[in-house]
Amino acid sequence: MTPIIRVHHLHKHFRLTRNRHGLLGAVRGLIAPEYRTVRAVDGISFDLARGELVGYLGPNGAGKSTTIKMLAGLLVPTSGEIVVNGHVPWRERQAYVARIGAVFGQRTTLWWDLPVSESLDLLQHIYKIPAQQFQRNLDEFRQLLGLDAFINTPVRALSLGQRMRADLCAALLHDPDLLFLDEPTIGLDVVAKERIRQFIQHVNRVRGTTVILTTHDLSDVEKLCERVMIIDHGRLLYDGKLEFLREKFGGKRQLVVDFAENYSDAPVDGAEIAGRDGNRVTYEFERRVIAASELIGRLSSQYRINDLEVREPDIESTIRRIYEEKLLENASDAAN
Amino acid sequence: MRHGLMLYFRLVGVQIRSQMQYRIPFLVEMASTGLITFASFATLALVFQRFEHIAGWNLGEVAFLYGMVETSFGVMDMLFSGFDPQNFGRQTRLGRFDQLMLRPVNLTVQVLGSEFILRRLGRIAQGTLVLVIALNWVDIHWTLAKLCYLPFVFIGQICFFGGLFIIGATISFWTLESIEFMNVFTYGGTEMMSYPATIYQDWLRKFFTYILPAVFINYYPALFILDKPDPFHMPAFASYLAPAAGFGVLAAALAFWRFGIQHYQSTGT
Ligand SMILES: Nc1ncnc2c1ncn2[C@@H]1O[C@H](COP(=O)(O)OP(=O)(O)OP(=O)(O)O)[C@@H](O)[C@H]1O
Ligand SMILES: [Mg+2]
Repeated sequence: MTPIIRVHHLHKHFRLTRNRHGLLGAVRGLIAPEYRTVRAVDGISFDLARGELVGYLGPNGAGKSTTIKMLAGLLVPTSGEIVVNGHVPWRERQAYVARIGAVFGQRTTLWWDLPVSESLDLLQHIYKIPAQQFQRNLDEFRQLLGLDAFINTPVRALSLGQRMRADLCAALLHDPDLLFLDEPTIGLDVVAKERIRQFIQHVNRVRGTTVILTTHDLSDVEKLCERVMIIDHGRLLYDGKLEFLREKFGGKRQLVVDFAENYSDAPVDGAEIAGRDGNRVTYEFERRVIAASELIGRLSSQYRINDLEVREPDIESTIRRIYEEKLLENASDAAN
Repeated sequence: MRHGLMLYFRLVGVQIRSQMQYRIPFLVEMASTGLITFASFATLALVFQRFEHIAGWNLGEVAFLYGMVETSFGVMDMLFSGFDPQNFGRQTRLGRFDQLMLRPVNLTVQVLGSEFILRRLGRIAQGTLVLVIALNWVDIHWTLAKLCYLPFVFIGQICFFGGLFIIGATISFWTLESIEFMNVFTYGGTEMMSYPATIYQDWLRKFFTYILPAVFINYYPALFILDKPDPFHMPAFASYLAPAAGFGVLAAALAFWRFGIQHYQSTGT
């Protein structure tokens, strides 16, 4: 099957004029401006199959929003190729955007002074949505997103979570093939986040909408995405299953053991003691060195155990390690 | 095209309805913008108490110049509020323009439909009042040609000022600081057009003749309608250039606008 998105050697470089200080600097800046190039996106390639839901991750300034803007046709790449749904996004803008939906977390597409329902009515006319389809979608989204509580409230009076729900509804009324979400859960509380995640999942699973989402909240990714892409400094560091990322870079697993008696020392082959608290000892071990069952076997043959628990490294710390220690960069260097 | 037009009216309709909700502030502001216009006209009238004529123009004739420009600028300001450079620049920085680009509708239509300031009716009303007074004071010898031409002069003026707004809005894609500079032309232009061109220094008049063709927008049509001689001895057709000059400026502005959008798409905000 042909991919719905094809991105090939995508670059976006911004040229910024360097500000010089003082009057002399200002004059020099006028005569011979000095430029600094920011490589916001620096050679990214990937394909996306129809119906995928992909998390696009990276630290601040990594180039996530810039990529999304190019995919949505708002920015023209410096070089490289994007084909989405058979369109080059920034050419034939009108035809292209009729088939996509996009939500930028900090922005709203709704009319500030209008009640939500009137904004949605306007969108029906903007996208030329047939009345039946519009009503069907609106009924479904109203229920899933719980819009009824504030559908007659002007947008400026909505809370952030309510606004985000209204914006998600607005982005999907015309049944887009693709949905771009740039930080859809930014600034929301746990309950609101959960509701929005469930909605995104529904849209992807039931309607088959292809979704790309950027986020800094890794629980979004854990709950929603099988596939993640990690970028930093405009380069793709990782593109693959979330599972595999954890396995490969997950760092150490922990085994917490409550012993039946107080051992002054309780060494075991294949794991190290990371901490102890009375009869409770915490071991750290690596997946590729020893399996949890093997380790438990060894421990129980040497000591009397009351209880134990295996703790997986959380994805948050895994990804933090990846950013901080640049694990992926080294990995890809080695692969090349 | 039809979709665009229908949508435009729908967007404007929505604006009007929501502005009517706040009736009292609406009326107060409408009256005050109107009063400002009228006050500045009153000042002008006071000047005429001392000097019967300014450069061979009496109060009624200057009131005609003034009323024309005020009315057409008011109409333009209502229709083209979306392009008001200051407002447009600010909205663009807030990402509003990105949101417009995400919708399958012509961008010019969307910007026009994004703001429609009904309060401008105050200015239009006062401008019209001044014009009516002028028509009373001046004994115009009406002919069919003059009557037919007058609406085109208005349309030309609206296009002209609208073009200036669009140019200003486009400049705001590059910089917000030069907007003040642009206001010199827009608001300075209206001010300048309210007086006979003879009162200006030569270089200024030449600028508003050959670079920004403002004199053909109001002064020359007024010479024709008021049957006044042309002190600068332009060819006779100079009086009929208002629509052409207006459309010309608007067309140039729209071309620049398209260029600006391309620039915006390559640099973002
Ligand atoms: N319009 C622009 N002009 C100049 N530089 C820009 C522009 N947009 C983004 N940049 C720069 O490009 C880089 C990538 O920015 P981008 O917004 O894509 O990052 P991001 O991954 O979305 O970050 P965040 O997580 O903070 O949202 C940053 O260094 C940013 O300063
Ligand atoms: Mg971002």
